[in-house]
Amino acid sequence: MEEVNVTLTVNGKEHNIKVPSDERLLDTLRDRLHLTGVKEGCSIGECGACTVVLDGKAVNSCMVYTFQLDGSEVLTVEGLEIDGQLDPLQEAFIDHQAVQCGFCTPGMLMSAKALLNEKPDPDREEIKTAIEGNLCRCTGYQQIIEAIESVVKIDRSE
Amino acid sequence: MIEFEALKANSLDEAIDILADKKNEVKMVAGGTDMLVQIHHESDDLKEMKYLLDISAISGLDVIEDNGEYLRLGALVTHSEIMDSVLINEKFPILQKAAEVIGSTQIRNRGTVGGNVNNASPAADLVTALIALDASVVLHSSHGKRELPLSEFITGPYCTDRKEDEIMTEVKVPYIQDEYYDCYQKVKRRQAVAIARINLAVITKVKDNKFNDIRVAFGSATPTATRFKEIEKELAGADLSAIDYEQLAEKTSEEMVGITGERWSTPYKRPVVGNLLKRALQSIVKEVQ
Repeated sequence: MEEVNVTLTVNGKEHNIKVPSDERLLDTLRDRLHLTGVKEGCSIGECGACTVVLDGKAVNSCMVYTFQLDGSEVLTVEGLEIDGQLDPLQEAFIDHQAVQCGFCTPGMLMSAKALLNEKPDPDREEIKTAIEGNLCRCTGYQQIIEAIESVVKIDRSE
Repeated sequence: MIEFEALKANSLDEAIDILADKKNEVKMVAGGTDMLVQIHHESDDLKEMKYLLDISAISGLDVIEDNGEYLRLGALVTHSEIMDSVLINEKFPILQKAAEVIGSTQIRNRGTVGGNVNNASPAADLVTALIALDASVVLHSSHGKRELPLSEFITGPYCTDRKEDEIMTEVKVPYIQDEYYDCYQKVKRRQAVAIARINLAVITKVKDNKFNDIRVAFGSATPTATRFKEIEKELAGADLSAIDYEQLAEKTSEEMVGITGERWSTPYKRPVVGNLLKRALQSIVKEVQ
């Protein structure tokens, strides 16, 4: 299979890589860059476990080919922590016990991150819409929604 | 496994050249929300594919533009961009109502107008609204440009009139003069990431408390999204406060079965189309009052 040169910035670091035509962003992140926080669930865009922030928007990394992304910027769950400091969303997920098995968590966090980047003070319905493409089979969503809401409240109080 | 060579077009001319050269061996991709699923499932439709042409970087195909008489909706416009557009919000709120029930946030961020139209799923949410709006599509190829109504472009479930050397560049949506009301309905198994069992777009003007220029388009009820002309005739000039909803529901079901014949899903869809139209009309009547 033909290979394509792609320059991709992931979590602030630029990578010049050569990828086969059918390599999905999901494969590049997990197998090439070893960012295994990105999870593969359904592979057809229904579960959201592979959600990353691509050029500011939440997307399913299983439904994008890396060859399409020359010059793009990607943020994964590994990029949320800065200098050992967890992102407020990560802290909130821990505090609200919004994690059980943990498989959906990176995707949930990235959907929430994209939402807050675009709109720092979403209401509950907007939070639900932001994570409507992320399946969680453990928590029942309540704790996740509350965790995201709590970060909004922190921001409001500042 | 489907093997293919990746190609990238940076301009419309480049894409047209590649399409003219590779013809049936090339498939196009932009958002990828349908194409990558088809490739993952090794769809039979991709048997001849040797090249996958990424058109997402072609400039000019992401326009949302007021052209005086119509709205230009570029093939690369995403569903999220439709939802965020001030122009669409003002002129065609029904397009936003259709866009916001597509897939999930992630899918709406990637999926495009061109993809929704060209995939030609009978359940495509945007298509039903575009059919109600009498939209046309614009296609380009090495032979030039052509334009045809969307209702003629989509020829069957997952089938279009697009020739293998053509690329759809935009959808044209004619403006409706005067004030009008609309309602979009979607029946689905769950709230999000759900394919429409049936969707419905109703657009109407209201004059002297009567429906005027009413359009009723159903998706997923017939092989392609279509306007129910008999029902439209029935409703044209009808008084808002004197509608026999039960009779109307019955006639709606009859019109559907007249097109599809009895199918395995008919016992389910027969009452649903009627009730859905009733719900849409009642919501419009409520809005008018």
